[in-house]
Amino acid sequence: MSTITGAPARPKLDFTVLFARFGTLASLIALLIAFSLARSDVFPTVNNLLNIMSQISILGTMAFGLTVCLVMGLFDLSIAAMATLGGYVATFLLVQYPDSVSVPVAVAASLVTAALIGILNGLIVSYLGISAFIATLATGSIITGAVLGISDSKTIITGIPDGFMAIGQGAIFGVANPILIMLSVGLALWLLLEHTQLGRHLYAIGGSAEASRLSGIAVKRYAPFALAICAGCAGLGGLMAAAVLGAGRPQGVGDGYLLNAFASVFIGASSLRPGKFHILGTLIGVLLIGVINNGLSVMGVPTYWQYIVQGVLLVAALFSAGVLTMRKH
Amino acid sequence: MSAPDMAPVPVSKTGTGSSQPDGVIFLQVEGLVKQFPGTLALDHVDLTVRHGEIHALLGENGAGKSTLIRQVCGASQPTSGKILIEGAQVALPSPHAAAARGIAVVHQHFNLAPQISVAENLFLTEGLPRRAGIFVDWSETFRRARTLLARVGLDLDPRREVSQLRPDEAAMVAIAKAIGADAKLIILDEPTAALLPAEVAVLFGHMRRLAAEGHAFLYVSHKLAEVFEIADRVTVLRDGRNAGHWTREQLSRRSIIEAIVGSQKTFTEEALDAPVQPGEVLLSAAGARGGRVADMSFELRAHEILGIAGLPGGGAEEALDLLYGRYPMTGGRLVIGGAEVTLKSPRDAKAAGLALVPKDRHAESLLPGASVRENISLPNLNQFITDPVLRLIRRAKERTQAEAIGRRLSVKMSGVEAPIQSLSGGNQQKAILGRWLASGARIFMLNSPTAAVDIGAKAEIYALIREIAANGAGVLFTSTEVEEFPRVCHRVLVFRDGRIAGELLGKEATEANILNLAAGEGE
Repeated sequence: MSTITGAPARPKLDFTVLFARFGTLASLIALLIAFSLARSDVFPTVNNLLNIMSQISILGTMAFGLTVCLVMGLFDLSIAAMATLGGYVATFLLVQYPDSVSVPVAVAASLVTAALIGILNGLIVSYLGISAFIATLATGSIITGAVLGISDSKTIITGIPDGFMAIGQGAIFGVANPILIMLSVGLALWLLLEHTQLGRHLYAIGGSAEASRLSGIAVKRYAPFALAICAGCAGLGGLMAAAVLGAGRPQGVGDGYLLNAFASVFIGASSLRPGKFHILGTLIGVLLIGVINNGLSVMGVPTYWQYIVQGVLLVAALFSAGVLTMRKH
Repeated sequence: MSAPDMAPVPVSKTGTGSSQPDGVIFLQVEGLVKQFPGTLALDHVDLTVRHGEIHALLGENGAGKSTLIRQVCGASQPTSGKILIEGAQVALPSPHAAAARGIAVVHQHFNLAPQISVAENLFLTEGLPRRAGIFVDWSETFRRARTLLARVGLDLDPRREVSQLRPDEAAMVAIAKAIGADAKLIILDEPTAALLPAEVAVLFGHMRRLAAEGHAFLYVSHKLAEVFEIADRVTVLRDGRNAGHWTREQLSRRSIIEAIVGSQKTFTEEALDAPVQPGEVLLSAAGARGGRVADMSFELRAHEILGIAGLPGGGAEEALDLLYGRYPMTGGRLVIGGAEVTLKSPRDAKAAGLALVPKDRHAESLLPGASVRENISLPNLNQFITDPVLRLIRRAKERTQAEAIGRRLSVKMSGVEAPIQSLSGGNQQKAILGRWLASGARIFMLNSPTAAVDIGAKAEIYALIREIAANGAGVLFTSTEVEEFPRVCHRVLVFRDGRIAGELLGKEATEANILNLAAGEGE
């Protein structure tokens, strides 16, 4: 009781702390080893590992963006609809105006549209005082409806230029473009969150909005920013999906990513720095999901197991992070 | 299903303890030891509480008060030692067992559920009376609740939601709940923390009456003035040991403070006697108003510590919030450093050289999950940016500053990367003050900077405030503990009903004078 403060941290190994910090990373490594031993002919090949990276690139891009707004404490549930929108807007513009809209313009227009809706989300949160959870649920529904209406529920397949599909199907030095896009987004957002004043303010607001406000931070300006980044990443994810598929689907593109993106970010918040959302953690979360899905399918396990294993994993990760907080009391 | 028809609370009964004459020992704790890994939290502690007695338990944070209470109410098991209730040694393996023996604890926030009615709270533990074992018998619930409230002398509609109650009413509902569970000893853990002076008086009135009926109270508080008013006996703990015991006749402020603090620390009780030479005017307000502040005109000079006093709701705390732009000023002029300013937000206020240390450290100033470094640098990150566009932070420079602040204010910590939560309250508060020292603010506004820090750290914070003023800043100081003003301030402005009711200089600024002005007596 009387000597809590000042005492230097005990150098003794504390297994609970180690478990909470490195549990997720350790399970990732353990899974890699297990799958490699079980299917040494298929799993641990350069091709398959690049394949895993490809499979997670869309999820990763969206999860990185989601990390930014969760750092601030904002849940963005509109990312599924935003992904659908991102893919559809780009293909729609390219097919509808093939003469006037180039691929870069279509990409930019699609990302800007997503980001603007993200800003709108943020304005609703900051200035109407509606929680992000509800606000983004609502805008997500509006976007879904709008895209369905504009498209008349028809998928765009013909007329998509090769230049656009190259975004999803091309490669540089044997590394698929989606992987490079995901890694670039991750690097940029890591720099933003860890090493810029903006990122530090996002963490501060997530820690205590009132303390941040009293420290002279204009708290209300940050929600539009964070939600715009998240929306932009979700739109980019959907755009990549459209380029990979070679089709602009007006519905359902992002649905599969919503839960997995949240799972990745929360699994990430349980690793290395328990209780904190961070890009490196999110990467570990995304990799874990990717490795499990790939590994199980390589092993010939039915697909439904992937969902069950992911659910169990998410609970286990949150528990291991919770153990630390529980022990403090 | 529990029994549908429990016996109604008898109306005529004047208290379960009334059969026991006063002065008979109810609880006796002998040689209690509680060993935590690496720390001896209780070292052979003795405590005796008699029927009908109000017994104050005092000590700094970490002295062992909460640990002792946890052993007595069954929340934790002592390593060795005895607990006797009415002369018989007992084991208290759970809070439930302690409750069955007549011991109840009322925590600081009264452990009531705010969103449900008073009546539902009263029967939270035992369950609501029911018809046919299933449906709640509401009329019976409210009838019994009214009876119970009447027993503690509270005239209150049991259908009211707890969140709508005044803090003193909530305290009494918590006590009624304890008495409804047949508590003979009620442990009150800082019950007056959220109460206004008038509400404290009401609570004390109820406590005295219940004590006269035979109920015993163990009263934990930081506020010495209250203890002197209410306690029949006082026990002081220090570093897990008994540090003294007094009966009402023996009470002496000096000896109790010495027992609490110990011989190694010195405690300055006297007012600042060295008169300062105030410097240039840093801030001047003319007819400023907004929120609860109706009219405020004053000047703050460099080197000056100006107290802003008043009863809660009188406008003193609100004055600091208003100056810091926490809510809009609706009229008047504000001149800072010679230029007229309009402060629309804390951001504007900070840019004008103001700093605010708010009252509630946990809700308003700490970044709870962050490190000491991140807490110190929070308002100052722009000092470490490499360029105006990307605004990359130079981490090494940031760390160096945090370390310098930590050394200068002797913040006890394992390092600047340690979580802020691992520091004691006093050291957390020093880090928060350090945050603003690093920002280069010239006007420091401090609201209860010593709230929930122990007495040793208080003295350090007082010294720090004086140092801040000596170095050329101006300080506006307010506190919920009136006794602090004479110790800290050169000059005190007293607010009443949102207006400055008077000004007290130097030695005139006594606790009594401040309270008289604040309450509007002597006019």
